[in-house]
Formats: sequence, C-alpha cells, structure tokens
Amino acid sequence: MAYMHIGKDFVPPDVPGKVTGRIKYAEDYTREGMVYARLLTSPIPHARVVGIDASAALAMDGVYGILTADDVYPDGEPNSTGLKILTNEPTLVGEPILAIAAIDEKTAETALAAIDVTFERLPFVLDPLDSLREGGANAYPGNSNTYVFRQGFATEKWSEDQVASFRAGSEPTAEAQQEWTFGDLDGAFANSAFVYETTFSTAGYPHHSMEPRSAMAYWEDGKLYLHGTSQSLTGLADDMAGIVGVPKEDFVFINVATGGGFGQRARAGSIPNMAIPAKLSQKINRPVMMRATREEEFTFGGARMGFQGWIKVGFNADGTMSATDLYIVADAGGKGGGGDASSAGDLISMLYQPEAMRFRGTNIGTNSGHRGAQRGPGQNQMSPIISPILDKAADELGISRFDIRKINTPENGDVHGPGRTQVTSAYMPEALEMARARFNWDERESTRRRQRNGSKVIGLGLGQGYHNAGRSGMDGIVTMGTDGRLRIHNGVGNLGTYSYAGTSRAAAEVLKMPWERCDVVNGRTDNHLPITSPQDGSNSTFTNTRTCYGAAQDLLAKMKEIAATDLGGEPDDYDVSDERVRRNDDESVGYTFAEVAQRAMELRGKFTGEAELPEELAEWTQISVSRLAGDWFMGVYHDPRHEGTVTGFTVTACEIELDTETGKYEILDMISIGECGTVMHPQGLKNQLVGGAVWGIGLSGYERHLYDPQNGIPASTGYWQSKVPTYLDTPETIQTGWVDLPDPENPVGVRGIGEPAMGSVSAALTAAISDAMDGHLFNTAPITADMIINQVAGISEEAVPLAQNNFRG
Amino acid sequence: MVATSNDVMPDIELYQPTDEANALALAASLGNEGWLLGGGQDTFGWLKDRNKIATAMIELTQVDAWKGIRETADGIEIGAVTTLTDIANDPLVQSRYGLLATAAGKVASPQIRNVGTLGGNLVQDARCWYYRRGLDCYRAGGNLCYADSPEGLNREHAIFGASRCVAVSPSDTAPALVALDATMVISSSSGQRTVPAQDFFVGPARDIENMTVLNDGEILTAVRIPNTWANAEFYFEKVADRNVWDFALVSIATAMKVSGGTVQDARVAAGAVECVPRRLQAVENALRGQQRSEQLADQVASIATNGAQPLNYNHFKVPLLGNLVKRAVRG
Amino acid sequence: MGEIVRYKRDVWGEEVILGVSWDLLWVVAVAVLVLLAAHAIIMAALANKKMDKPSGEGRRVLRHESIDRAFHWIMAASILVLIFTGIAPIIGLRIAWLNFHWISGLILTFVVIFHIVRSMFWQDFKSMILGPSDFGEPFDSAKKPGKYSFEQKGMHWAVTVVVLAVIVTGVLMFLQIDSPFWDRTNSMPEDQLGLIFLLHGLSTLALVALASTHIYFAVRPEKLFYTRSMFTGWISEDEMAANHDPSKWTPKEAD
Ligand SMILES: Cc1cc2nc3c(=O)[nH]c(=O)nc-3n(C[C@H](O)[C@H](O)[C@H](O)COP(=O)(O)OP(=O)(O)OC[C@H]3O[C@@H](n4cnc5c(N)ncnc54)[C@H](O)[C@@H]3O)c2cc1C
Ligand code: HEM
Ligand code: SF4
Repeated sequence: MAYMHIGKDFVPPDVPGKVTGRIKYAEDYTREGMVYARLLTSPIPHARVVGIDASAALAMDGVYGILTADDVYPDGEPNSTGLKILTNEPTLVGEPILAIAAIDEKTAETALAAIDVTFERLPFVLDPLDSLREGGANAYPGNSNTYVFRQGFATEKWSEDQVASFRAGSEPTAEAQQEWTFGDLDGAFANSAFVYETTFSTAGYPHHSMEPRSAMAYWEDGKLYLHGTSQSLTGLADDMAGIVGVPKEDFVFINVATGGGFGQRARAGSIPNMAIPAKLSQKINRPVMMRATREEEFTFGGARMGFQGWIKVGFNADGTMSATDLYIVADAGGKGGGGDASSAGDLISMLYQPEAMRFRGTNIGTNSGHRGAQRGPGQNQMSPIISPILDKAADELGISRFDIRKINTPENGDVHGPGRTQVTSAYMPEALEMARARFNWDERESTRRRQRNGSKVIGLGLGQGYHNAGRSGMDGIVTMGTDGRLRIHNGVGNLGTYSYAGTSRAAAEVLKMPWERCDVVNGRTDNHLPITSPQDGSNSTFTNTRTCYGAAQDLLAKMKEIAATDLGGEPDDYDVSDERVRRNDDESVGYTFAEVAQRAMELRGKFTGEAELPEELAEWTQISVSRLAGDWFMGVYHDPRHEGTVTGFTVTACEIELDTETGKYEILDMISIGECGTVMHPQGLKNQLVGGAVWGIGLSGYERHLYDPQNGIPASTGYWQSKVPTYLDTPETIQTGWVDLPDPENPVGVRGIGEPAMGSVSAALTAAISDAMDGHLFNTAPITADMIINQVAGISEEAVPLAQNNFRG
Repeated sequence: MVATSNDVMPDIELYQPTDEANALALAASLGNEGWLLGGGQDTFGWLKDRNKIATAMIELTQVDAWKGIRETADGIEIGAVTTLTDIANDPLVQSRYGLLATAAGKVASPQIRNVGTLGGNLVQDARCWYYRRGLDCYRAGGNLCYADSPEGLNREHAIFGASRCVAVSPSDTAPALVALDATMVISSSSGQRTVPAQDFFVGPARDIENMTVLNDGEILTAVRIPNTWANAEFYFEKVADRNVWDFALVSIATAMKVSGGTVQDARVAAGAVECVPRRLQAVENALRGQQRSEQLADQVASIATNGAQPLNYNHFKVPLLGNLVKRAVRG
Repeated sequence: MGEIVRYKRDVWGEEVILGVSWDLLWVVAVAVLVLLAAHAIIMAALANKKMDKPSGEGRRVLRHESIDRAFHWIMAASILVLIFTGIAPIIGLRIAWLNFHWISGLILTFVVIFHIVRSMFWQDFKSMILGPSDFGEPFDSAKKPGKYSFEQKGMHWAVTVVVLAVIVTGVLMFLQIDSPFWDRTNSMPEDQLGLIFLLHGLSTLALVALASTHIYFAVRPEKLFYTRSMFTGWISEDEMAANHDPSKWTPKEAD
C-alpha cells in the first residue's frame, strides 16, 4: 500500500534540540527558590533501620528538611516487593533510606555525613541457589526469599543435595513455583534423534541509562508539577499520581526528553524515587531538585534478572525440534523481579515451535540491584543460550545451521506458549532468507567457517530474536484549531526511539496531512494527553498507531459529517485531500480544514469533545478531554482489543575472528534483519537494530553484575566497571534490512521491534564464539576473555558453577 | 558513611603555580596536604566520592617547564605534565620510541588521554575496586585485604609479588618505560634526584600504601629515555575486556635488538600482573643470543609465568601473560 | 596525639577499632629516654658513695646453662628483629619487612614455648617466682635475693606477659595473611581483627619500653657482669657474695 507517511523517513521534532543540546532533561530545569535533595542510601545489603539521629544535620545552616520512610508511609511500608520511595528495611546496598534538602548539594552532602543511622544487620545472600539451600540466608523482609503473585512473601527451600546436584549439572528436582506444559514431552523426547541437556547461567546487569533518574518537583495552587524521566508519559504519570498520593487531575508530569529507558522507566512502580522531591517539596514548601548519581542509577535504576537454568532439547532426525524441557531459577534481586523466566520459555516455544514443551520457573531474591524489565526481559537471556545448542544439533544431525532454523521457524498461523495463542502474523522465513542472501551465508559457511590464521579462528553465527510487540485498548485524541493544523495528542514518552512522533504519523496518514502541518502534542501532561500503555514490551508502535489512527478516523468522520450537513450529500460522499474535506465527485465542493474546524467550534457538542465520547475512555483521557472540550475540533477514540500475539522478530548473522591467545574477538561483519510488519519509520528501525546490536554484544560478551560475596557491596557501579561495549568493541558498520510485510491487526500494518533487535545479535554472537571454539558450548552469558583463555588453556573455571552476581552469570 | 557514591566535590583550595620554583615551594610547604594535580583523571573520582580527602590541590599543568618533549644528547626528555595524546602523536616519540607512543595511545579513552598527563599516568593509584570504593583496606591504612580471599572478586588482581595487598600496577605507560630503561626525574625544593623507571615503582612488601618512591613534597618533573633502545624492535600489546576505556588485564612491552634473526638484547616488562610493572629479566636472559623461533617463544613464555601465584579468579592471567610474551617474541 | 586507639570504618561504614595509635611510639620513646637518662644521672651522682665493684676474678659459679643462654639470645635477637621490622613501616622505612617479621615471630614463638616447658620441668622454676617477700628487697639493703633480684624478676615477668601477648596476637594476625602454609581468608570479623591489632600494638609499645630498659640495665657498669654471664654462663664468687644470698641460691660451680 502506498502511504504518504508510513515507511518514510522524517525529522522527529525533538531532533534539532538533541543535536544542539537545547532540549531539556529533568535536571536542566530550575525554579525560583529551588533547593537540592541528596539521598542517604544503605551501605548494608540487608538491614533494618532502628534509629535515625538527624539533629546535627538539621541544625546546619542551609539545611531545610529531611524525608524518611516514616514520612512517606505513615501507616507503614507496603508489604510487597518492588522499590519503595524510601525504606526502613533496605534489602540492597544503595537503597534510599532518607533524603535531605539543602541550599546546595555540597551542603546536603555534608549534612548527610552528620546523620547517624543505626542499623540492625540482617543476613544477606547474593546467589539464589545459596538462598534456596536449607539454612541459606533470605533476601527479603520477614526472612522470606520470594514473592508469590497475589499471595505475598514466602520462603522457598531446597535440600542441600538438590542445590548441589543442580550446581553439578543435573536437572533440578525441586518443585517449581510456576509450570506450564504443552504436548507429550516424554513421547517427544523418546522419539528424538538428538537430545542435548545442560545447565546454564546468564548474568543480571544494570540498565545504566545515560540520564540518571533525577527529578524536580514543586507545588503550585494545589497542583504538583513533577519534572521527571520516563519512557511512557501518561502510562507512567497515571500510576505516579497514586504513588505520590495526589489526585490525577492535580498532577502535572513534565518529561520532554528521556536519556534512555529500557524497561525500568515504563511504569511508576519501578521509578518511585521521583516521589522523593515531590514529597519533600510538599513538606518544606519549596521546589526540590534531586539529581541521582551514576551509582544511584546503578543501584535503583533496575537490572536484568540473571538465570540459573537447566535445559534439555530434543530434535527429530529431520532437524525439527521435538521437545524442550526448561527449568529456570531467576535472580529477583533485592526488590523482586518479573516474569523473565516464563518469557524465556516462551521464546523457545515461539522461535523453534517444539512439538512438546515444559517450562518450570522459580524467582528467588538476592540482596543485589533491583530487577525488572530490561530490553527483552527473559527472551533475550535465552537467545544466546539456545542458539549454540541449535548449532550443535545441526552438526550432529548433519543439517545446515541455516536449515535447522528455517525448518523450525514460525510463520503465519503458528501458535506459541502455554495458551497456544496464534500470532497476528509472522514472516520469519522471509527474514531468514533475507539474512542468508544478504550475508552470503551459504558461501561463508562453506569457505570461511573455522578458518585459521595463526592464533585466530573465524566463527560464524546465526541468531533469531523475538518479543511480543504490541498491545491495544488505549485511547487517542487529535485536535484541530481554526488554523487547520492537526494536533496529535500523544501520551507516548520520548525515550529516544522517536515512536512518539512515528506513531503520530498514523493520524497524519488518515487525514493525508502534510507533516509540517502537524503538531505532535506531548512532553507534559497538562498538554492534555490520552492514556497510553506503559512503553515496555516493544508495544508502542503497534499500540499507538492504532490509537492515533483511530482518533484521526474519528476526526475524519466528523469532518465528513459536518461537510455533508452543511454542503449536502452523505458523509461517505466526502473524503480528504490537500487539507480539505471535499466531495468525491466534485472536489470544488468542500471545506478547508481551517473552515471545518471553525464550523466544529460553532456546532460544538461531539465535535468539540463535549458530548458522545467513547464509553470506555480511561480516567486519564477523560480528564484530558474534559479540559480540551469546547476549545478544539476534536477526534477521540478508544481502541478495542485485538486478537492474537503481536510479534516482533529479528534475524542476525555475524562473522567474528577470535584470537585464542588473548580471548578477544573482532566482529568482522554483522547484519540484522527486522521483521516487524510494515515499516513505520526506516531510520528509527535502523536505529533500533543497530542500538539493539550493541546491547546484544554487551549481553553476550561483556556486561554483568558483580557483587562482593563477602559483604554484598556492588563492584560494577560505574560505566567502566559495567563494561558496556564501546565503539571499538562493536563492528564498524552493522548492516540492516527489513521484510516490510503488513500485520493484519494494525491499521497501517506495523508492529514493534525494540527488544528482539538485541536478542538475535546476542544469539548470533554467542553462536559464532562457540563456532570459533570448535563447537565448545560455554552455556553462559556473557562469555568474557578470561573464560575463553581458560578454556583454551584447559584451566577449569574458578567460579562457583551457576554463580550469580559474580564472574559467571 | 562509606560504600556509597557521594559524587559531590568537596571544598578544596586550588593553587595554580606557573613556575617551577613556586610549584616546588608549594609542594614542600603543603606536604601531604597538597594533592598534586595533573589532568585529574585519577584524582577527581577519589575526591568526588569523598573516599580520599584533600584540603589543597596544586595544579601542575601551568608549569611550562614540565611540558613537552625535548631531544637531549642521550635521548629524549619528556616533561611529566605532557598529555598522553601529545606523547602518542609526537613524531619523535613515534619514530624512535614507538613503544611508548603505542602504550600512551592505548591508555583509557581519547577523552582521558587528552587531559591525562604522563606523570599522572605513572603515579596513578591502584585500581582495585575495593580500595576505590573507599574501603579501609591495607592500602588505605587499614588492616586487611578484601580482595585476597577465596571469595574476593580478584579477577583483575596480581599473580606475582603480592604481599597482603594484591593490587596491580594499572598504568600502560609504566611497562613501556621500564622496557625502554627510562629514568624518572624527581624534583623537590631541596633539589633533584633521578631514579631508574624500574625502581620508581614500589610493591606492597616495601610500602603498602604508596605505589612509587615519591615522598611528600616531591614532584615527578620529567622522564628521560636513553638512546640505548631507540629504534629497537618494539612490541606492545594490552589485553583488556574492552578495546578502549578499560584497564589492562595483562599488558606486555618489549624492546628487542635483533640481527639476522638472533636476539642481541631485550628488555621485557609486563603490566597488570604485579603491583609494579614486572620486568621479566629471566625472559630477557633466555632471549639474549638466541635465534628467534616459535620454539624460543614457547620456551620463554613458560619462563615468564614461572612462580606465578594466581588468586581465585585470575588464573587466566598466567596463560595470557605467557601468550603475550610469545607474541612479543614472534614480533 | 593524645589518643590511644585508632578507628576505621568497616566495610559497611560502622566504626571499628583499627589498632593502636602509633603516635604513642614517640611518647613511649621519649618517656623511656627521659626516665633512663634520669636514672643514669642519679646513678652517676651516687657513684662516689657506692661501694666498690665486686671483682670478676676468682672462682666462678654457674648462673646460666648454655642452652638457656642460647634461648635467651635467640629470644633477644628475634624480639629485636621483630621490633625493628614491625616498626619500620610505621616510621616510614621502605623495607620488605613482613617475611622477616613473621619468620622471627615463629622462631620467637617456638623458643618461648621451649623455654616455658624447660623452665617448668628442668629449671628451678621457683627461683623466678615473685613472692610478697620480694617486695621488701629494694628498700632493705641488708636483704639479698636468691638467683634473681626483685628487679630481675619484675622485668622477667613483665617481658613474659608482653611477649606472650605479642605472640598470641601475632600468631592470630599471621593466620590472617597469606603464608606458605595457607591462603588467607576474610573470616575474622573486622572488629575482632582490630582488637588483635590493638593488643599487638600496645604490647609492641610496652616491649619497646621494656627492651630499652632491659638493655640499658644490661650495659650499666654495676650490672654488666650479669650480661657477661649471659654470654659465658658464670659469675664470680665475689659477685655472687655481693649480690645474692647463698642461702636462697646455691649454684653449682662453673667449669
Ligand atoms: C575510566 C578510566 C579508565 C582508565 N583506563 C586506563 C588505562 O587503560 N590505562 C592506564 O594507564 N590508565 C587508565 N586510566 C587512568 C588514567 O589514565 C590516569 O588516571 C591518567 O593518566 C592520570 O593522569 P592525570 O594527569 O589525569 O592524573 P591526576 O589525576 O592528575 O594524577 C594522578 C595521581 O598522580 C599524582 N601526580 C600527577 N602528576 C604528578 C607528578 N608530576 N608528580 C607526582 N605526582 C603526580 C596525583 O597527585 C595523583 O595522585 C583510566 C582512568 C579512568 C578514569
Ligand atoms: C617482639 C615481638 C613483636 C613485635 C614488637 C611486633 C611488632 C609488630 C608491629 C609493630 C606490627 C605492625 C602492626 C601494625 O601495623 O599495626 C606487627 C605486625 C605483624 N606482626 Fe608482629 N610483632 C611481634 C611479634 C610477632 C609474632 C610473634 C608474630 C607471629 C608470627 C607476629 C606477626 C605479625 C604479623 C603477621 C603482622 C602483620 C599483620 C598485618 O599487617 O596483617 N608478630 N608486629
Ligand atoms: S588488593 Fe590492595 S587495594 Fe585491594 S583490597 Fe586488598 S589491600 Fe586493598
């Protein structure tokens, strides 16, 4: 289909500001009388605060006040996992205990040093298996080590033998918290021609967004103005109001740009520290700026869950995956994690379509960084583990490494997961073929695979990524003034993906509106924005093209109705072009958009949002609409639910040259192909594929949480200790491509891509490393230089098997 | 409260002398109260996190006499406040002492090299993360080591020469200068002394709190590199987790004089395996007079790692050091 | 100055003992110097009135068997080495002290153990016992001691207590560092470790004072024959008669 905007590059409105540095992040704002807050965070991995003596600090010049957990939770802290605003029972080093407000940061810092906090030290643990062991310490309050949905805190224990045999490489025998199955597992394994079984581990690691989660707040006329950081504007603000305890209509959240959001800025619950300046400002009656440090961003900025897993995969003689049995103990960190383990299982069920599968998973807390969604949570940890196993099977069964993927790959009509849910669409075979052709895979496999040059060996890897990539059920608002410009109210956050602008173009598309005549209205909630889904799970593109499209359709219908009423005929006799609504049979009959907006303002009622609104509008949208009502010609839409799983797929191929003497490798070539329905914004898609590649390289080769097992203090707090890959660790160029076929559940055919873009790269790179190592499977992520050196030298690994927050996993 | 990052610079008196005499007088009068400041790349982290306290800072970068690269009768002299970028890009250094140019160009990242000075790079403190976090370990004047224990995270630590503290020398230029047989010029208000590069660095057995022989009031003002090794065959390689913006896991710096395939003379130093740049004299001896070959490379590689005492997580440094020595011999 | 104990933050920021305040070393050094100098001056002033020095000529009696003399000198040497090596880093001497220190420490430990065992079963243990009656001795010039004078016993027991303290704490500290016999662990809580360092340091200070005093008296002219006896084993009958009560000590004749 020929689109006017969809599939075309454009300059998103925030780009000039980012290029010139003029765009403002939360830290860049000031307010008359603003003071600065600093945090006192826990130096101890697990403790109870038994006393706070701040008298000396509060007596200092320039100190304005203190905020403690008792202030923010007068009735006691919520008895649940998740970060608290402030806490009296820290379960990780760096968790905020209190905040001090002072005239400047230096004074605040000096005041903090004068505060005496008395702690009762509690046992701590850094490895889920150590906690599971009988007698092992427990990370959570009340001597518990897990949190069961809708049940609360609980304590899970295995016998000493159960833990030991799992660490030693055997299938875990303890009952798991969560289990799902489909198909006849035993039968499928029994018929398998090749079965591979192993334990594995993957590392947790922090998000380390470039912009730390700073926030500034002030109160004016009973309203709270909060400058913060988020990856979902209204999706986050909606819950943030509740966390601060302010009615939604009295809450203004301002967030024009965000320096990185990768899962931990999607929902208010994962960034409750923004409530600190809000509460402190309320208490001391002054604007309060709280800048988070890099280390604070590390400690409460969120981290990926690490896995301690066991997997058994069977293949039929023809290479089809017969069965997968997967058991994962996931490190839920100090504040409780998410559903990564089950998502890891889902990845396999989707990408390789096994006949039978069993997933078992258990989340166990450790006194380490707070865990939650991080780019492809679960799916992406699994990608680098499963991909080399496929290669092993291919080599064993004598099929090509490409074919084993192609044979198993999902296509239209396929189902996945325990619910056997059908995909909305899947063009994975096309994506695989495109990667194969563009990378010359077959030729490279036959001529370059495992080629040696001195100590260097060529390794080739293929990888696939998947994440569900779309939701529905949100709202859309568009308005038009008498100037005839289209204003697209978009509640999507500006986290650097440009999706706030890209999705808006679905509305422009409907009204055939030139982009320069459109205004994307967002950045702050008093711009009256509709509710959006939290921007996680790669959903924004799918979800919000639906709402923008729907709202524009509503406006279009209203234009037609006005034109028909005023100018004769039926609404269907009209259409839009060149910023006019005009008769199909006589284009001279019609209104310009400016005129029709003028008419709407005269007619009012439903045309200006004062009547006949969709019934299911979210409260947040209702407030926005009511404030706009009467002032604008308005289109309003509530999006019904769609059917099926919206998919986002990627395929990556890469070639590396690994030096067996140094354990280092260079990525010589890499290509990533996106399969995300119709392409909405090519440049944006390319950015996602390339950015995701850098993340994937980090997952496979570099990044991991390190906590000292002796005392629970974090070692990987800064950028250099965290080893995020640099320019020189990534390929000079990463080629990209896309399939570009429409998804039937989206009005413009688009789906999301953000998360899989990382998974396929990680899968391909890990496969390439194994390939260069003559097929040795490390069964871990990341694989660092020391592991390669040790493997080559025949030194057995020093790390505890399956260790978490340590050198392995 | 330790163990948290404060990330706020405390109040510090800043002195900015522009001539030598003034700078030396300040260093003498301020003693250990006066923190010498080169490019600040090692310094600011300490101070911002308030893990080390300084009440005064003497900025050295405005003393022109201590900057620049000069040819001397016996080689070259490099002012200690010359930036690493200037050294890496200097034609004279590149052409005659390529080993140093390469090493300087491998330090940290371009941004850090642009301000980081040679003096700062040589005098920089240990990078052991426990120490840098502000813990009161031996090196900080305490009475224990957090890294040297079965559970300690000591992947980056020493395999040689440890004595209670197992931190390593983090500098990339240090092994290069040891291999080039450089001399450190140390000035103070009471005069000047010179120390061979190799003796400039001190291990924990002799001084657990300081990495160099510098005393309070002394400033490293220049580094002299003799002609002896000019235009020799050089090899520098640094293996780090990342290719930029990362410290060496192991590095190797060698200068060799080879004629007709026979090694006439050699100087070999390794970084990040000991608290000081480790001169591999036994390797040098084994190389001298030998025909360069894969066999010789293998043989000296095992000599290089002789006596290594790896900690729990750094066994890989042993084969890695051996491999790097091999590569250096192969050239 | 002025404080005895140094503190540090433990890994979680709480204040714990780090060790003794080494400023006290100077306090001890000065105090000992002043006291000994005062003693020397007083003794010099009294010197004229003092009776004649007993002669070292003539028949000899056995004061120390050779094995005990060997023990003494090994202990003395190791203690001096220990003091020197222990204090070197504190006063800023950059020497590789630790191996010398713990090796001497182990030597001292073994010799002390031997000495204790020997003194209890093979030596005249009673001769060193400090009883109530001994306390009158310094005030009554007519009262002469048995084998050991009140001052000698006092010095011996003070040194015993302090040396045992450095040994016990030293061995515990030794267990906390890498050695050829074991790899260190971080198993001792930081507050306990600090306490041990404090006791090791306090004992060091006491030992500095005691050792200097001991050496000072050993080289004083009127006591020099005791020092000689530590080399040769004997004192003369004359010296014996002048300083000891034969009813309380009946030594064998020296050969
Ligand atoms: C993220 C990161 C990565 C790094 N990676 C590397 C690496 O890969 N390789 C590497 O070698 N280094 C690395 N470094 C260290 C960095 O290169 C050094 O910190 C830098 O070179 C120090 O130079 P400076 O002039 O900025 O030092 P400063 O911070 O100014 O000084 C460092 C120390 O030396 C003292 N000092 C400075 N000049 C003199 C002088 N002339 N005489 C006496 N004392 C002096 C100062 O008092 C201070 O104690 C890294 C640092 C960072 C922050
Ligand atoms: C005459 C007896 C001794 C003296 C005067 C002495 C003195 C000292 C001193 C001053 C220190 C430095 C302490 C500090 O920095 O706070 C020290 C450290 C030490 N001593 Fe001794 N010591 C003696 C006996 C021993 C013995 C018997 C041992 C047992 C082997 C021993 C083992 C150690 C060890 C291992 C250390 C280093 C501990 C560390 O730094 O971790 N010492 N000693
Ligand atoms: S290795 Fe050295 S610097 Fe690191 S903790 Fe041990 S004593 Fe401190």
